[in-house]
Amino acid sequence: MEAKQYIGEGWKHAILIIGAIVVMLPFYMMVSMSLKSQQEIQSISGGLIGAQETQTFPVCVKTGYSEETCTMKPYQYNYWFAFEKAPIPRYLMNGVIVTLSIFIIQVLVALPCAYALAKLRFYGREFVFSMVLFCLLIPVHGIALPLYVMLAQAGLVDTYSALILPWTISVFGIFLMRQFFMTVPDELIDAARMDGMGEYAIVWKVMLPTAIPALLAFAIFSVVAHWNDYFWPRMVITGNRDLFTPPLGIREFRGGIDSDEFGPMMASIVTVTVPLIVAFIIAQKRFIEGITLTGMK
Amino acid sequence: MHNSKAHIWFIAPAIILMIIILIFPLFLAGGISFTDYNLGNKTFEWVGLENYDKMFNRKTYVKMIWATATYVIVVVPISVVLGLCAAMLLNSLRFGADIYKTIFFLPVMATLLAMAIAWEFTLHPTLGIVNSFLANGCGGVREFILGFHLLPWVDSQESWYAVACANNMDFPYWLKQKNTAIWTVCFIGIWQAFGFNMVLYLAGLTSIPRELYQAAEMDGAKSTWEQFKLVTWPMLGPTTLFVVTITTIRTFQVFDTIEILTKGGPSKTTYVMMYAIFEKAIQQNLTSIGAAITVVFIGFILVLTFFQRYVIEKRVHY
Repeated sequence: MEAKQYIGEGWKHAILIIGAIVVMLPFYMMVSMSLKSQQEIQSISGGLIGAQETQTFPVCVKTGYSEETCTMKPYQYNYWFAFEKAPIPRYLMNGVIVTLSIFIIQVLVALPCAYALAKLRFYGREFVFSMVLFCLLIPVHGIALPLYVMLAQAGLVDTYSALILPWTISVFGIFLMRQFFMTVPDELIDAARMDGMGEYAIVWKVMLPTAIPALLAFAIFSVVAHWNDYFWPRMVITGNRDLFTPPLGIREFRGGIDSDEFGPMMASIVTVTVPLIVAFIIAQKRFIEGITLTGMK
Repeated sequence: MHNSKAHIWFIAPAIILMIIILIFPLFLAGGISFTDYNLGNKTFEWVGLENYDKMFNRKTYVKMIWATATYVIVVVPISVVLGLCAAMLLNSLRFGADIYKTIFFLPVMATLLAMAIAWEFTLHPTLGIVNSFLANGCGGVREFILGFHLLPWVDSQESWYAVACANNMDFPYWLKQKNTAIWTVCFIGIWQAFGFNMVLYLAGLTSIPRELYQAAEMDGAKSTWEQFKLVTWPMLGPTTLFVVTITTIRTFQVFDTIEILTKGGPSKTTYVMMYAIFEKAIQQNLTSIGAAITVVFIGFILVLTFFQRYVIEKRVHY
């Protein structure tokens, strides 16, 4: 019995390891290419990190740097040259500006609304709530074209506003927070009113602190979605590099697959992808909770 | 209750934004789809159903529907089944489940666009490790397994693998060949989606009470498969319904991989709807036809969601 169980366990691991290898393939390829020299990439040699021989890089010399500057190890060169060629910090900063603005506005709009829907009694509440439920069905990417037309008419294409505005309303956030506020006991709110707190103060000083766990999950959900979003920025940012978000930057790095050097290109892609992956590995439980948030009913 | 008017200030911003950003565009898309309006034009004319007529009769758009349907029909079932299998395997492991969970969830987290480029290189005919792995395996175990030589109807000299080996390592250019591009894109879609489904199924599995398995065993369901049929699968009904719906909606919206890897080609075999909207309306400035595609696209998604909410929901809940 014991032995049989061990064999069973062994088989399961064998299957899962093959699966894990397939899943990890592109990650391996990405990291490996960002470390190796062009020759090693083209001859598919050198394993994960390559030989790391110090050498002079011709493309770098051609770009106008001195030979001395251009002599270094492949991994140093790839990452250094990636930052020389493109304003990567700028792209990352744009990513932070856009995702944070979206999240903050979403909360400013959704939290009071959710509170009103959960705890205040007013004429038309049911109607507003059914409107929220209806809007939950609309995929924002699906209505991208009319939104684009509206933004173009307003002259907002190629601005931060274009990147942020369409996402300012998160009906999912309203729905989620409302469900959460329903579980907050009325006594807590009544007590606050007795203390003379106004409704605004109640939302931000009483309800907000109770909602921190739900809000954190929603934050991860929102930030991950918008950090990785490529479709919408691709629609509304046409060429202004100063407004590029990380995925648009990635697209620019890719350039011509046959013309460019692959090492620096992959180095830039790794740089842009890594922040989220590291955050994920550190706070795994919270991330999985946040991203599968849509799975809660 | 309180006679303050606070609630108006609380709900007004949300309502205004919902109307402007979510509801009005629906009508705008509908309206534009009946005109010949292109962005930048000062005037437009009503053209009735002309745009829709084009959509269902021109070859390009028929191919678009096919590509989208193929993608959804392949990716949804496979990624759901893989997610379920992975979840059940992990659930029955004695150790190591957390590591696999992290690895399988990585593709969900990582920027899809970056990963698409990584896949492009992984599958590249001369630079990629996939084709070099295949080429090095000619005449060996890899050829035997991946050429399906074990199957009785496969001639070991004529299998795709053997033919490629014989023709100077002529393995497919996965993303550029007409007969492989759509399947390769589907593969990347599955790779990206199944970890998400796995996590949802893992949550579903933990909510099944242990006693049910004991009861099933007493009723004579001894084998794992019988227990799965009798307990696990029915109890996962609501999870499955949810997983299928959300995967379908996400799959319909595929764009990143297509735009960066195939641009809808070769010969429109991967021309999915979101890419068509982007190409027609933004790149070629044919706003009205883009609007018509948008309307059909939203129609699909609304029908699906209603179907989930009101038809099936009643049947799967225990």
